[in-house]
Amino acid sequence: MSRRLVGLLIVLAIAWGGLAAIVATGTTPRLGLDLQGGTSVVLTAPDGTDPELLDVATEIMTRRIEGFGNVQEPDIAISGDNTVVVQLPGVEDEQRAIDAVGATGLLSFRPVLDSTPGETGPLAGSDTPGIDSQTGLTIEDDITMEAYLLQTDAQLGSEVLHVGPAALEGGDVAEAIPIFSTQSGQWAVSLNLTTEGGQKFADLTAAAASYPVGDPRRQIAIVLDGEVVSAPAVNPDVSPTTGISGGQALITMSGSQDAQQEAQDLALTLRYGSLPVAFEVSAVQKVSATLGTDSLRAGIIAGALGLALVAIVLLLAYRSMGLVAIAGLTVFASLLVTLFGLLGAAQGLTLTLAGVTGIIVSVGITADSYIVYYERIKEKIRDGLSVEDATEEGFSLAFRTILTADTVSLLAAILLWFLAVGAVKGFAIALGMATVLDIFVARTYTRRAMALIAPTRLGKGGWFSIEGAAK
Amino acid sequence: MSVYRKLSRGETEIDFVGHRRRWFTISAIALLISIVALFVFQLNLGIEFVGGVGLQGPNPAGAEVPEIRSALADVGVVDATIQLLDDGASVRVAAPELDTATEVAAVDALGSVTGADHNEISISAVGPTFGSLIAKRALIALAVFLGAVILFISWRLEFKMAGAGIAALLHDIVITVGVYAITGFSVTPATVVAVLVVLGYSLYDTVVVFDKVEELVEIEDRKTYSEIVNDAMNSVLARSLATSLTSLLPVGSILIVGAFVLGAPTLLDFALALFVGIAAGTYSSIFIASPLLATWKEKEPGWVDRAERIERRSKSGRR
Repeated sequence: MSRRLVGLLIVLAIAWGGLAAIVATGTTPRLGLDLQGGTSVVLTAPDGTDPELLDVATEIMTRRIEGFGNVQEPDIAISGDNTVVVQLPGVEDEQRAIDAVGATGLLSFRPVLDSTPGETGPLAGSDTPGIDSQTGLTIEDDITMEAYLLQTDAQLGSEVLHVGPAALEGGDVAEAIPIFSTQSGQWAVSLNLTTEGGQKFADLTAAAASYPVGDPRRQIAIVLDGEVVSAPAVNPDVSPTTGISGGQALITMSGSQDAQQEAQDLALTLRYGSLPVAFEVSAVQKVSATLGTDSLRAGIIAGALGLALVAIVLLLAYRSMGLVAIAGLTVFASLLVTLFGLLGAAQGLTLTLAGVTGIIVSVGITADSYIVYYERIKEKIRDGLSVEDATEEGFSLAFRTILTADTVSLLAAILLWFLAVGAVKGFAIALGMATVLDIFVARTYTRRAMALIAPTRLGKGGWFSIEGAAK
Repeated sequence: MSVYRKLSRGETEIDFVGHRRRWFTISAIALLISIVALFVFQLNLGIEFVGGVGLQGPNPAGAEVPEIRSALADVGVVDATIQLLDDGASVRVAAPELDTATEVAAVDALGSVTGADHNEISISAVGPTFGSLIAKRALIALAVFLGAVILFISWRLEFKMAGAGIAALLHDIVITVGVYAITGFSVTPATVVAVLVVLGYSLYDTVVVFDKVEELVEIEDRKTYSEIVNDAMNSVLARSLATSLTSLLPVGSILIVGAFVLGAPTLLDFALALFVGIAAGTYSSIFIASPLLATWKEKEPGWVDRAERIERRSKSGRR
């Protein structure tokens, strides 16, 4: 067997075998909200919330879901005066998604004024306004006020921290990145602070460093939505006059099982800022598909019919080359569907009705590349080249053109992916994959297949041959 | 020789550049109609863009989505998004803005099909899901993309080709949008995606044609730029028509069979934009982009000189 034939068989095995494998294992592409439904979360803001704040909140939620990565094309709409309805297509980890969307994400760095070991604050039983009389903890944390907050730590046990008003808040964070610190062996979120934030952080740490080592006031409490994430003490070598300069801070996650995920989610929440309103999750419901499978079936039947017509045109116009193209289009389509299936499983990529029909249309458009190539072959044969030489030389000429045109498409895909959100981003993924596959199939399949048929009767023969199409 | 054979062998002799006035006039009229229609009829933006009214109520009768859709359509509420909540226990409907009478009728219709009492159905305003953020980001992406395309084509081919290509692209998009204004089909996020497909397709088609022009410019030294463009166009005409056909067949089939015969109206919004856009894209790469490029290039001193030289030679040859 020639190397060409082996290469060709490998490509066919990958494409058709891949499709068979994802169908057999049920890894078929995940369907979007319109085709399969999903989860609807109703978030309610306090009465009398400024409508503009709701707008800002939905924008932040949109960005967070996008950054969350596991969900594609959510629907987020303001409904009525004070609710936001978020619809997520079939999500694996529903609770995590809901938390990521609805968490206020209000971060504050607070000086620690005092600490009490145990789970009960010093003001328990004192009937102080704003303090729970049983636990002695602050009921509703306001970051501009002092508060008594509980810190639980698996190793050190619990303590109640008396913290001052925020010295630094979420707005002072310029960028938040989840990192794994090899030094401490723990997950953390690394914060780049704004210039102003960096100064505030230096002042805060300088003040803390002025207390002797071991004093609770050397600690800084990092509080997120009223909960202490961590409360590290500044290192002994920090100078009480300058504090920690450089505009960088680190939030170390406690060594829990999900520390990595926690670090990622926290970084995400901080990156897109806190919601200007505290929402309450008032309903979580399953929602049905808006279109249902009849629309999907109609789209697929109609698309298949259209593609069958394309096949007939290719056979009539390009004869044996048309046959190669039809097999090539099935290779292309199989790879595309396989990729959608795999990305659906790995990244939660979902296909909406527009996406499904988009795949069908992209197959029709990919026929373009074949036509560009075949017209070149016909041209070369008319120039007097042998069928073998024409298929080879035609390929290099056509491939140049295909590369140029595909680069434009790829450019569109990459830019839309980075810059756009929602449905447009979903389109960018599909376009990018289709374009890369177009180039891949041209190189690995089409060229080999054409070289193989060129010397046979399908190359030089009667009506149904390459020569026959060129005449 | 039959037209098909001529076409297939690239031996047609159509003067694309010479008749440019005709093509430009046709396009100018189409563009004018589109723009006027856009201002007069305006676009029928879907609830995803402008929001609307939401109805929600229990569903003791266990009505299914198609039943509810037809009940609402009977009272004139079309383009509504209907969802069953918690496996059909209740129903949520998002419909375009309704006048008071229709709203009352819609509540009646929903109540009678779901078996819910009037006072159990809540009415609230629904905001857009394809909000200003998504639209803004998409527009920024588009602007950056067009800039990058101009740079890429200028580098790979040449600047004037980039200009002509972008002009053809805008032509296609204005006409596509115009068709939506005239037909009144609702514009959904799927339509936006379809317009983006058109954008890519239009550029692909134009780049393939210009690549051929560039190739001929390098080997021909006794022809004017217009003649070279004409030669390139005639030699790739069969290809252009074939590629348009293979792209339009699946789209047309989804439009006609999917939307009208099998009755999936949501396919309409998507397929119409694709169909019109791809057809316009084929037309513009042949009849707009290429003549435009030729007109522009003929003004360059080098090509003016060559045109004059060829003119003199043909005159002296005749004498």
